[in-house]
Amino acid sequence: MIHAVLIFNTSGVPRLTKFYTPLRAESQPLLQKIFQLVSTRPASLCNFLDAPELQNLLGSKIGDEVRVVYRNYATLYFVFVVDGAESELGILDLIQVFVECLDRSFENVCELDLVFHFDDVHHILAQVIQGGLVLETNVDVIAQAVDEASLARKTSFLSANPLALGTGSGPRSSTLQTPLNWLTGKLGGIGAR
Amino acid sequence: MWERNLQDLVRGLRANKGDQSRFIAEAIDEIRREVRGDDMELKAAAVLKLTYLEMLGYDMSWASFHVVEVMSSPRFHLKSMGYLAATQSFEQDTDVLMLTTNLLKKDITSAKPLDVSVSLNGLSHIVTPDLARDLSRDLVTLLSHSHPSIRKRAVLALYKVVIKYPEALQYGIEKLKERLEDPDPGVVGAVVNILCELARHNAKDFLVFAPPLFHILTTSSNNWMLIKVIKLFGLLTPYEPRLIKKLHPPIVDLISTTPAVSLLYECVHTCIIGGMLQGSSGFSLAQTCVTKLAAFLEDSDQNLKYISLLALAKIVPTHPHLIAEYESRILSSVDDQDISIRMRALDLLSAMVNQNNLQSIVQQLLQHLVKPDSSLNTTQTAAQSLTTAAASTSADRSLTTPSVVSPSSSTAYRTTLANRILSMCAADLYANVSDFQWYVSVLVDLAYVARAPVGAVIRDQLVDIAVRVREVRRYAVQVSMRILEDSAFISGAKEDPKEGCEEVLWAAGWICGEYSSELSDTRRIIPSLLSPDVSQLSSETVSVYIQSAAKIFGTWAAGLTERWDEDDLPELKKVVGSTIDYLRAFSSNPNFEVQERATNIMQLFNFIRADLNAYKPRSRIPEQSNGFADASTSAFDPVGTTDPSFPKSLLLLDPLFTPYTLNPVAPEAQSSVPVPEGLDLDAWIVPEANIALRHEKEKSTEKKKKKDKKGKAKETGLTGERVDRSAARSSKTRTNAFEVGRTQEEVQAEQEEIAKAKARRMEMLKDDPYYIIDDRPKVQPDDVDSIPVVRLDDMPALNSMGSPKATPPLSMTPPPQNLRSASPAIPVSFTINRAGEMPPNAISPKLPSGSLPKQSPLGTPRSSTPSRLVPPSPYPTYEVDEGGVLPRATTPEMIKVTRTKKKKSTTDGSSKKKKPKDTAAVDQVNGNKS
Repeated sequence: MIHAVLIFNTSGVPRLTKFYTPLRAESQPLLQKIFQLVSTRPASLCNFLDAPELQNLLGSKIGDEVRVVYRNYATLYFVFVVDGAESELGILDLIQVFVECLDRSFENVCELDLVFHFDDVHHILAQVIQGGLVLETNVDVIAQAVDEASLARKTSFLSANPLALGTGSGPRSSTLQTPLNWLTGKLGGIGAR
Repeated sequence: MWERNLQDLVRGLRANKGDQSRFIAEAIDEIRREVRGDDMELKAAAVLKLTYLEMLGYDMSWASFHVVEVMSSPRFHLKSMGYLAATQSFEQDTDVLMLTTNLLKKDITSAKPLDVSVSLNGLSHIVTPDLARDLSRDLVTLLSHSHPSIRKRAVLALYKVVIKYPEALQYGIEKLKERLEDPDPGVVGAVVNILCELARHNAKDFLVFAPPLFHILTTSSNNWMLIKVIKLFGLLTPYEPRLIKKLHPPIVDLISTTPAVSLLYECVHTCIIGGMLQGSSGFSLAQTCVTKLAAFLEDSDQNLKYISLLALAKIVPTHPHLIAEYESRILSSVDDQDISIRMRALDLLSAMVNQNNLQSIVQQLLQHLVKPDSSLNTTQTAAQSLTTAAASTSADRSLTTPSVVSPSSSTAYRTTLANRILSMCAADLYANVSDFQWYVSVLVDLAYVARAPVGAVIRDQLVDIAVRVREVRRYAVQVSMRILEDSAFISGAKEDPKEGCEEVLWAAGWICGEYSSELSDTRRIIPSLLSPDVSQLSSETVSVYIQSAAKIFGTWAAGLTERWDEDDLPELKKVVGSTIDYLRAFSSNPNFEVQERATNIMQLFNFIRADLNAYKPRSRIPEQSNGFADASTSAFDPVGTTDPSFPKSLLLLDPLFTPYTLNPVAPEAQSSVPVPEGLDLDAWIVPEANIALRHEKEKSTEKKKKKDKKGKAKETGLTGERVDRSAARSSKTRTNAFEVGRTQEEVQAEQEEIAKAKARRMEMLKDDPYYIIDDRPKVQPDDVDSIPVVRLDDMPALNSMGSPKATPPLSMTPPPQNLRSASPAIPVSFTINRAGEMPPNAISPKLPSGSLPKQSPLGTPRSSTPSRLVPPSPYPTYEVDEGGVLPRATTPEMIKVTRTKKKKSTTDGSSKKKKPKDTAAVDQVNGNKS
């Protein structure tokens, strides 16, 4: 089973953390540790992180066969913590599937999409994995489900806030959002980049 | 007023990079206000912001009630936010989970499929045993929902429910089976997925799924599904041998056709579990597997390399010869820059080792520990590597030199590697080690280069080998001397107590002491054992040092008596004097163990000094004689006529240490300690009366607590009565088991007295408002004095029971001459292979010979391996001469480890099963005996 899905950037800032096994107390140290181990690995190495340190950290919770499977896309690391019931190469494919789904729904996904659409990323992940088990691996099926749910959230939001000017997919704007706010936000976003 | 939504929060965070914590503190304050309001949108937005902050490590457990509020919103966009927050923040012990039962029930039975999916997803995260019990029926109903996506989610959620509430499987399993034939492949995949997980816990129950799974195996082309199905069969085959035959053709087909290494890996794994690689057809299959996998070892794709190493490690135990071909490739994988690959290669290597390749493999692995020594002087601590990691940006990461990233520098890796080497060699009682000199040097090298906390293991192995392998002792002593004289360890221990292998010094000290007869230069070693620098070491090591120094001196002094020469006297005096000086420094050591040993031994040396000073050489005028010849020396100065020519105190120390050899203890020794006659192990050591009294007291005190205090006097009176009764009962049944010092009546009377006194006191204190009466039941009886601990000494049986090593207290050892003729103890023998030591039955006086028929008295401790049998000597053999120099086997023949072994072989050991090689040694034993 998949025990955790983590996304963090190249400076170790988490962009998404999802724990399917209660590891909450250890979540931050775990994140730091994995980041520290993963970020020092050159791209030429394999995508499996097999560190004795992690075994010490996770062994008691997960068992003997802790595997960390990760992939690096531009500025982001996608890290899956799995146990012996998963196929390592399969998980590698699954990361690819997940990223493709993100790409479809954000159109050329970049780190900022993940930052500002934190909830959407979670909703997409929920279409791929449920409770640590793989729900679907077909990108088309996932994308369809994602669209469906996002449309439903939008409709629900609009019906609750008929005067809202906010756009975008989902309920992330409050009642008082104005285009001005949206504009400054964009500027801030670019400036910060 | 502007409310901030998630985007604003993120923007704020990015704008306030310098002072994030203050910004977050403000944001959380704001969130606290917002979640309390009535506006659901606002509340949901606040919860979402909080969820974001939770990811950054901030606590949101305080908001769990508000999360439930948001979850219960009928609006889908709010509901999904609520569920998201719940999945991220709820723990098993979150109290509001109890409130969610009805909410979840409503949502998963909702008519809106999206509500159902979002709640099923949430349930998978937050399910508790209670929720699982209450919702399992609804969940099973959902398995036949009209929407495939809901069915899929329900199947996966069912797994989580079953984990928490296993009974759910009973009514879910039939429906689950139906789902294997679902028209939607996603649902089938989900079922296979959860079966795979469930079968890991308990495969037997899922054998019924085998036929439909087999159908999937032969028809599906989805690799995802096939991997899981094969994995599942791997779990099922151990419980259903018929599956093996059935699975053989499709799996062989898959192995030969599939291009996917992940699938190949699973097939190999399942083949191994199912034992499909046995037999002639199995062999060719194994060969195919190995050839295919080995090809991946050369692949440029590191991932494939990794997987193939993983798979090869599974084949190795059954088909080592097939893998042996690729040994060089695998060895080169250990050098890989990638720690993941290294770890897998290490796994594989440790499975591959045998007598022939152990040395080369270990040497290669040692290289890893040595290498960074030259390039990088200090190991990277976690903090250092963290800063390195933080410093290296994505741009230069590709340029980082291997020495920086080299996994050899991480302590965890070094520890693993060192431990792997140690366990590899020690496996099966050093079965693969053929040259122990080499191995001892490996151990010492490891201690130098490991820089990992493996010192304790190295220490234990060094001592173990020195004890078990006689031939290597001289070498071990030589090496130990070198270590002891090397200040690197002492300074290393000072610098970094965690990474140094200071424990090795313990072993070195012990070996030098125990096998001091092998020492080449005795006088040199004592100063290095006792020099003031040593006090920097751990107290355990220092204690051993002190003891060893005494042993070494004892051996040396005893050796001097052999070839006594008056010229030795000054030197002897010098050594004794300096030793006393050294020991004096330790006698004020803060550690009591060190202190005690130092003082004891110093006292012994004082005796020796006094004797030496009083010694008058026969032929010469005494060089010096001062007032030291006092009463203490008179013990060594009998008025007898046969005065030896040397100072008699030279033989003071040696017999304290040498009469008993230390032998490894056979694993079954403890269990074969015969129960001496007259010892009833079930009998109470402390007469039951006291125990009973204790229980009664507890009971009555407990009652007291409940009752009104007025009843106290009566209660205690009652206790007294009960004591009477129980004591009487026990005296009836148990007394004969012990020689009781005092009579039961006496004990009883005393107890009554105490009980009465206590009652009086309680009564007195009852009304004292300043006195807190201890109402808790007392575990300890208050009449400790009446427990007749002393009686233990009177029990004859216990003494003879002894420990398996059965080293009688040394204080009882008679002077050397007596000892040699009368000692009933375990003699030093000269067998090359010594098995583990068995309990010395000789001491146990009336051993019923029927109980352990295969043990002969006195012969038992010398059991040995069948291949190198030594005739058991009916008498104790001694070969320790006056000089204490052990005669050695002349040829440094092949070194073998002794194996702890059953006692059986000893008794019938007179049969000549031994190899001719051993005869020399055995002869020597006999020669010595005579």
